Amino acid sequence: MNKEVKEPIRKKWIWIGLFIIVLGNVPWYFTDSMVEPYILGVPFWGFFILVFSVILCAYLSWICLSQWKIVEDEEEGNK
Amino acid sequence: MGELTFAGIDGIVILTVFALIMLVIGYYSGRGEKNIHESLSGYYLAGGNLGIIALFFTLFATQYSGNTIVGYAPAAYRTGFSWLQSISFMTIIIGVYLLFAPRLYVIAKKRGFVTPTDWLQHRFNSKGVTLVAIFLMLWGLGNYLLEQLVAIGQAVSGMTGGTIPYQAAVIVFVFVMLAYEWMGGMKAVAFTDVMQGIVLLIGIIAFVAGGVYLAGGSFGSITQFIAENEPAKIAVPSSETNINWFSMLVLVGLGASIYPHAVQRIYAAKSEKTLKKSFARMAWMPLLTTGLVFLVGIIGIKLFPGLEGDASEQLVGLMANKIAAINPFFYWIMIIFFGGIVAAIVSTADSVLLSFSSLISNDVYGKFIKPSASEHRKVMVGKIIGIFAIFGLLWIAWNPPGTLYDIFVLKFELLVQLFPAFVLGLYWKRLSSTPVFWGMVIGAIAAGILTLTGHKTVVGIHGGVIGLAINFIICVGGSFLTTSSAKKNPVLEEDMNAVYIKA
Repeated sequence: MNKEVKEPIRKKWIWIGLFIIVLGNVPWYFTDSMVEPYILGVPFWGFFILVFSVILCAYLSWICLSQWKIVEDEEEGNK
Repeated sequence: MGELTFAGIDGIVILTVFALIMLVIGYYSGRGEKNIHESLSGYYLAGGNLGIIALFFTLFATQYSGNTIVGYAPAAYRTGFSWLQSISFMTIIIGVYLLFAPRLYVIAKKRGFVTPTDWLQHRFNSKGVTLVAIFLMLWGLGNYLLEQLVAIGQAVSGMTGGTIPYQAAVIVFVFVMLAYEWMGGMKAVAFTDVMQGIVLLIGIIAFVAGGVYLAGGSFGSITQFIAENEPAKIAVPSSETNINWFSMLVLVGLGASIYPHAVQRIYAAKSEKTLKKSFARMAWMPLLTTGLVFLVGIIGIKLFPGLEGDASEQLVGLMANKIAAINPFFYWIMIIFFGGIVAAIVSTADSVLLSFSSLISNDVYGKFIKPSASEHRKVMVGKIIGIFAIFGLLWIAWNPPGTLYDIFVLKFELLVQLFPAFVLGLYWKRLSSTPVFWGMVIGAIAAGILTLTGHKTVVGIHGGVIGLAINFIICVGGSFLTTSSAKKNPVLEEDMNAVYIKA
């Protein structure tokens, strides 16, 4: 049997990572004065949220490609 | 949508061209494929054979509808920078897919599922669960379809400056959609999505470029304007807004991922490789769509300050008029952009209608009314009832509700109640049908009552999320009190164990 089966739900670190990124992606940890300085015209807090949004996209995209492999070998082998 | 005085006859020409392209694609999708009309999987899932390009674009064009632009730009305009949440809540959907899509794909291919209900029936073998699930899905899909029908009319009559009245616009596009869907089923829907998705993407990018140019060329000058005139829209969000933000992530993430038409796209994938590559690309799309639409709303604050409520809903139309006036290049780009919005709405509506019909064919007719009927007949029944449903909804659509976003949240409140049954059921063998049934029913009632009594959110948390929490507690608590259902069924146990055995 193929030992390289990967299913995201069974890898705890994926979900801990996702949780941390989501925590960073909601601006609960900023104080009211953190509107300035503006970075590239974006308020300070918003810039951080934007960075975390990009990280979230990259992380999920990478997980899809690298941590998900259940029947792929079988299917591709049948072609 | 605003009266687009710039368009008129040019708009009609572009819309006609788009409609013809859709019809041609529909015709060629259905031609020479006898199988399409003879089998449920052939018609509703394109034979489970969608390749990477078609699958990616059909995921994209289905998830992002015209409303994503027409409704979200005003939302960004009204709420300011805290609407950055629209990027996160569209991205998180992929994270939720990763919870269940990999295993569901394997089981669905093995057992030849056509609708989401097939999985619930296979897992729980309970009439009660199946019926409540069908009801919630048909309700959610119907509401979604209604929203698209309202939006088509507003977009077209706006674009043609009222030359084509609202009702005529809807009727024409509904006929186009019905025609290509009738001819090619899911294959036609997916192939038209490729064209519709590309037009939409080009349109949004051009729209933002035009908007930034109009607002003075630099984003810094826009935020400076907001800081001086409407500082609340740039301020650090309040704690209630943040709680609401988390709640939105849960509601949209869980709700959108188990949309019946979304689940059917998992079934329709040609292979696991195709599916995961499509999802990997989809994970980036929020930046290019809701992210750019967010920018449009923010630019709008400077270009058209002081719009409120219904007036702010006209924002995209107002901006398009201004951008079109820059030069002939932008004029044509704006016309294509509005055609793109119409195409995007149609591409969402067609997927929802197809899914609606499949629930009628495979679940209502095929499981309860006449299970012995031929597949050809089941497909026919679904197609015809789908047409009746469209015209029933049209009748309601003639009186469109005010703010599009309100109805968007309403459908999630109920659909999301399927989540515990659907996903927990994939992994937890103890989960049994009676608590699942009551969890769905009570969760849906709680969410419905909260919403209808004006408590759409409580301390920032959506009624649907509160209903879902109650639902989860009933499912888990009740399952510990009853005996397991999955263990008595060897076929099911094999499916649920399959992945573990392989590893």
